[in-house]
Amino acid sequence: MEIESSNNIPMECGFHEVEEPYSDHTKVVRPKSLEELIQELHKIFDSDKVNVDYVKRLMTLYISNRKDWKKYAKFDPHRYTRNLVDAGNGKFNLMVLCWGEANGSSIHSHANAHCFMKVLDGSIREELYDWPSEDSTGTSMSPRQKNTYEKNRCAYISDEIGLHRVENPSHSDKAVTLHLYSPPFDECESFDQRTGHKNTVKVTFWSKFGKRTPYGVCATTKEERKNAENN
Amino acid sequence: MEYLRRQSESDTSSSESEFNGENAEDLSYSDLETVPDFLLLRSNELRALQLDHNEILCLPDTISSFKNLVTMDISANNMTILSPELVKLHNLKTFIARNNCFDTDSIPKDFGLMSSLEVLNLGGNNFKELPPQVTELEHLRCLYMGGNKIEEVNSSIKSLTNLEVLYLGGNCLTEIPAEVGCLHKLTALVLCDNQIQSLPPTLIHLQQLRSLSLHNNQISTLPTAIVSLNIVELSLRNNPLVDKFVQDLVYNPPTLLELAGRCIKIDGLPYSCEELPRHLVQYLDSAHHCVNIKCKGVYFSSRVEQVKFVDFCGKYRLPLLQYLCSPSCSTVISPSPSLSSDSEPEEEDNTKERMRRVLLG
Repeated sequence: MEIESSNNIPMECGFHEVEEPYSDHTKVVRPKSLEELIQELHKIFDSDKVNVDYVKRLMTLYISNRKDWKKYAKFDPHRYTRNLVDAGNGKFNLMVLCWGEANGSSIHSHANAHCFMKVLDGSIREELYDWPSEDSTGTSMSPRQKNTYEKNRCAYISDEIGLHRVENPSHSDKAVTLHLYSPPFDECESFDQRTGHKNTVKVTFWSKFGKRTPYGVCATTKEERKNAENN
Repeated sequence: MEYLRRQSESDTSSSESEFNGENAEDLSYSDLETVPDFLLLRSNELRALQLDHNEILCLPDTISSFKNLVTMDISANNMTILSPELVKLHNLKTFIARNNCFDTDSIPKDFGLMSSLEVLNLGGNNFKELPPQVTELEHLRCLYMGGNKIEEVNSSIKSLTNLEVLYLGGNCLTEIPAEVGCLHKLTALVLCDNQIQSLPPTLIHLQQLRSLSLHNNQISTLPTAIVSLNIVELSLRNNPLVDKFVQDLVYNPPTLLELAGRCIKIDGLPYSCEELPRHLVQYLDSAHHCVNIKCKGVYFSSRVEQVKFVDFCGKYRLPLLQYLCSPSCSTVISPSPSLSSDSEPEEEDNTKERMRRVLLG
């Protein structure tokens, strides 16, 4: 499956453009609910080509409504949670992440997948990092850019762009984000900021389709449980 | 490891279910300046009330007629004072008052009598300390005081023996009292975004602790106690943690009593209350074993402080403060500065067992 940005679409003068559906992000219609957003995403990801700008615009245009996502908003006092909303017929995973006050992730990569993150509640801070190079192993990583996303904004990242850490900057507000990953992945790399060393970690779900799914019960080996990013 | 049921998790869902139930009223984001009269018609039946994100500067006295309220949220109302009538809500378990303008003077003097309270959220206000009334709430299980201006935590926190979650992130703390170690039911301790320089060794008593948030502080070493805890989530980034093996040169030479005591303990000479005065027996019993397993030494009060690095899960190296019986003992431990963990394989195994995952800096 090919994912492209509209920057790559060649314009041919004098010929009738063959308009592929879901390729012109200026023609995105606002989804009226999360359910509608999901239906649109299924249609978009059915085709072989997916346009990043189109998906980003679609996710941005959905106006967050707590009633839509309340059942996925499950918080843990110890860390952020990942709650699967839709398994996208294997083409994508859509999930709600719940960030308690000051919860954050490690610096991580995205398994060659494309990642969209929309803020449903509260606000989110993102620190972008470059991939540590061969020469820089052992030196500490510092962010090249910091972004704050308010409610309804949508961010995009891929391994090409770099790595990031995501966190809830507030000590008095929770935050909720909607993530789309394509293709779906259950492992990524986590980086030690002080040295640039990386580890492969498993990412798991706190709940699926609104129902709690504890990883500890399902894990078969101690090693797996030890390396799980989410429990 | 089996999945551990987290009490606080079931609480979130229980207060959620209160908000979802029939006897709930959601008046959040409604441009209200006061509690509307129509609500009084439901005052007896309401169990959950959301009044957050309005402009209600003060709760009316009639709030006390909502006798069956279990959960109430008055966050984000620019409130400066809490009505004393609130104290009459004898069934209130969860009280959320984030992002207002409260300080210690705003809290009613009888607030400590609200023995039904289990979850209290006063995050994002103007508190400079924990109001004394808060430490009287014996049944409190979750206390959120994040994003205030708290400079000191009073030792009276030890009264909150039922506390499971203590959130103190985003304040102005430079230390926390040793009495935090008395909170034996604590599972989550959040201290990030402060100016904390060190942690009390009494943390060793927090055997139920699962998460410890320490990022963005001024911490240079951690007490050895941390190794024996069963923490699953630990955040340490942005602390001036010691990078290399440092030897502390401060060493108080031992007293004659100490030297005699060491001889008795090391050689295993028997002693009892029949031969020795009681205070000496107690002194001998208080001997600490040198942390260097290759050394059979003991010490009483004369010891060397040392920073040692311990690997956790092969992912992260934490600087721990340890005590050795003498400066010469330390030369036995470490073959080279960078390989401190290799010399004590037993301890390393234990730490790998215990520290399952560390949120990397």
